[in-house]
Amino acid sequence: MHKRWLSISTVLTAVALVAAACGGGGTGASTTAPAGTTGAAATTAAAAAGEIIIASDLPTSGADASSGLPTQNGAAFAVSQTPSYKGIKFTFKPFDDTVNGVHDPQKGAQNVQQMLSDPKVLAMVGPFNSNVARAEIPIANQGPLAMMSPSNTNECLTQTFPYCDPQPKALRPTGKNNYFRIAAPDTVQGPAMADYILNTLKLTKVAVFSDNETFGKGVADNFVNRFKAKGGTVTNRSDFDWKTTNDFKPFINAAKAAGAQAIYAGATSATKGCIVRSQMAGILDVPFTGPDGIGDDQCLKDAGSNTANMYFTNAAGDANQNPDAASTVAAFKQAYPKASDVGAYTFPAYDCALILVDSIKRAIDANGGKVPSRQQVIDAVQATSGLKGTVGTYAFDANGDPKSATMAFWATKGTPAAWVFQSQFSVGQ
Amino acid sequence: MVSSVAAARARLLSGSRGRLLNGALFVLIAIAAVILATKVAANGPAYFIQIVVYGLANGSIFALIALGYTMVYGIVELINFAHGDVFTLGGFISLWLLPIFGINEGGGTTGLGLIVPLIAILIISMTVCAVVNVAIERVAYRPLRHAPRLTPLITAVGMSFVLEGIMFLWRGPFNLHYPNVLPPASIEIGGSGGPAITSKDLAVIAIAVVLMVALTLFVERTKLGKAMRATAQDRDAAELMGIDINRTIAATFFIGALLAGAGGMIFGLYYNTITFDQGFTAGLVAFTAAVFGGIGNIQGAALGGLVIGMIQSLSDGYFDTAWTQVLIFAILVLVLVFRPTGILGMRVPEK
Repeated sequence: MHKRWLSISTVLTAVALVAAACGGGGTGASTTAPAGTTGAAATTAAAAAGEIIIASDLPTSGADASSGLPTQNGAAFAVSQTPSYKGIKFTFKPFDDTVNGVHDPQKGAQNVQQMLSDPKVLAMVGPFNSNVARAEIPIANQGPLAMMSPSNTNECLTQTFPYCDPQPKALRPTGKNNYFRIAAPDTVQGPAMADYILNTLKLTKVAVFSDNETFGKGVADNFVNRFKAKGGTVTNRSDFDWKTTNDFKPFINAAKAAGAQAIYAGATSATKGCIVRSQMAGILDVPFTGPDGIGDDQCLKDAGSNTANMYFTNAAGDANQNPDAASTVAAFKQAYPKASDVGAYTFPAYDCALILVDSIKRAIDANGGKVPSRQQVIDAVQATSGLKGTVGTYAFDANGDPKSATMAFWATKGTPAAWVFQSQFSVGQ
Repeated sequence: MVSSVAAARARLLSGSRGRLLNGALFVLIAIAAVILATKVAANGPAYFIQIVVYGLANGSIFALIALGYTMVYGIVELINFAHGDVFTLGGFISLWLLPIFGINEGGGTTGLGLIVPLIAILIISMTVCAVVNVAIERVAYRPLRHAPRLTPLITAVGMSFVLEGIMFLWRGPFNLHYPNVLPPASIEIGGSGGPAITSKDLAVIAIAVVLMVALTLFVERTKLGKAMRATAQDRDAAELMGIDINRTIAATFFIGALLAGAGGMIFGLYYNTITFDQGFTAGLVAFTAAVFGGIGNIQGAALGGLVIGMIQSLSDGYFDTAWTQVLIFAILVLVLVFRPTGILGMRVPEK
């Protein structure tokens, strides 16, 4: 009897664990914009005019939450600033695309399916990760639902290159575009760091690794092409299966033997990118560089005591550098006071939601003050022109890419180390 | 008549096809060996020695995990799927204990002030893992000792998920930084700039060797060790001779998990990263090592671990890491085709 109880309690614990894990990653209830909603909903006419939901799909639980939640905060705050327009209520509804705390393309695709089944959802902010975007675009495209990503940088999501698999056309079964982003693609991000290493750090020999994911491998390829074209040498390159690799020392030693003066990491801190930095200690003491994927606290933790001399490119500008955004930044900090509430993609996500709100307003006007169709919203987003956000001024080309984007450089400074903004530049396309 | 001719032809065909496959595998490995030899020659001996040192350290960790698989399989013919997660647990417990014992990265403790707490943490982590593994045996395997073979296999998978779930909830889903506390001192072979054996490499290899020697002595020289060997040979006869089977099996799980717990801690010290689900892959590789050496055979598991660690480091160092798993399993298939019982032969009860 006693024995049986032990077994039963074990099974119960297991069930509870599974339930807890699932509960944490739920789809999230609809959160109504907090400020001023009562005023808008006071008249019955307003209620009858309808409700529009702007959804988001971001990785907001587990370790990915360190970048996903601050991003979601930015979008939620932007929607809350426009509680209603012409009697139509605006609501923000967040979705979470993590499974076991890691962004998951299939989960993202399910979320989009769920958005499509709710006719009130007219547009979405997100996703955060390029491989999630690849799974979501074909589904949203058949809606069609407007997608607006603050952080997707893989160039193959929008532009046709011979090496792209799948090609952007294959991601859009209807033949029309529904996907937009404000981040500069990796064709800009990888080369930006290549130029920075050659011109600012004045180094010419670099060892390169990648996590072999859509984003990591893509940005590493772009880095390598530019670095070689500008006269630099790539000493050695490895594309790791990051899930099974823990020992990066053979790679580091090969880099040392070949005389590498810096390392370029085509990876994110979620794919062990910064573990490599930690294992370099005592073997190879050279600058460690990478894309926006390593620009978070997790990376500094993983690097341990080996945090000096690290650099990353951010595919979006810094809102603190824009004097016109000061009041918005201050208001956001009042609504979200914790330091962990704000991240590198908070204000880009704010801008994404801002563009969607602005477009939906114009679509409502064009539709005679009534709730527009999803296609009308997409057309309005495409027609966006000269809209000023906190980190940029927005207009989109036919592929859904921003007509101009900002690229920023950050580096580690101080003890304990923190990421500090260095410089930024604009890229027109 | 016709059908038997057809069957014979099919057998013949499948036989030649099998030989063809083996031949292809053999050619693949031969090509890899030739490329490896030219690359080793091109990169010089210093780099080669460095890679071999990493291979030894990698292999020591695999060997420690493999021993637990092989001991448990030898005695109850069960693949303890939770074993990989017990290994991970060793890393998590020791990570939790490090700051409690005042050991922090860059904390500046060296000498005895570092070694004594580290050994204390090692012993506590090993013991906790051992107790957990015995509890798993008591709850999930012992009640099913006479159940069909598949049933404890499923409860083993279940216990693996339970352990992973607990560690997931405890510390979250992602790579945890494991402090780099061993001193950066290293011995450079052949003067400065030569291949370096760091204190990390030495610590990993030393701990593994000490534990494996202790295990061998224990199994060969003590009464309990003798009981284990007897139980592995013939459980019923051993019981008739007055050996407490339950106690002996529990002891096997205890000792296997001691080694896995130590493996978990030195894994963290060596790679400076641990993840709640690392036990799945590490366990799979270690189980492979156990089969490679001859399941149930303690020396075989140690040898298998070292061989696989060495193949892995050579492949990582001279080829692309993408080829590592392919190479390991190609060699495994080839070895098992010619020696189905592993390099040193299987030691399991004969039925």
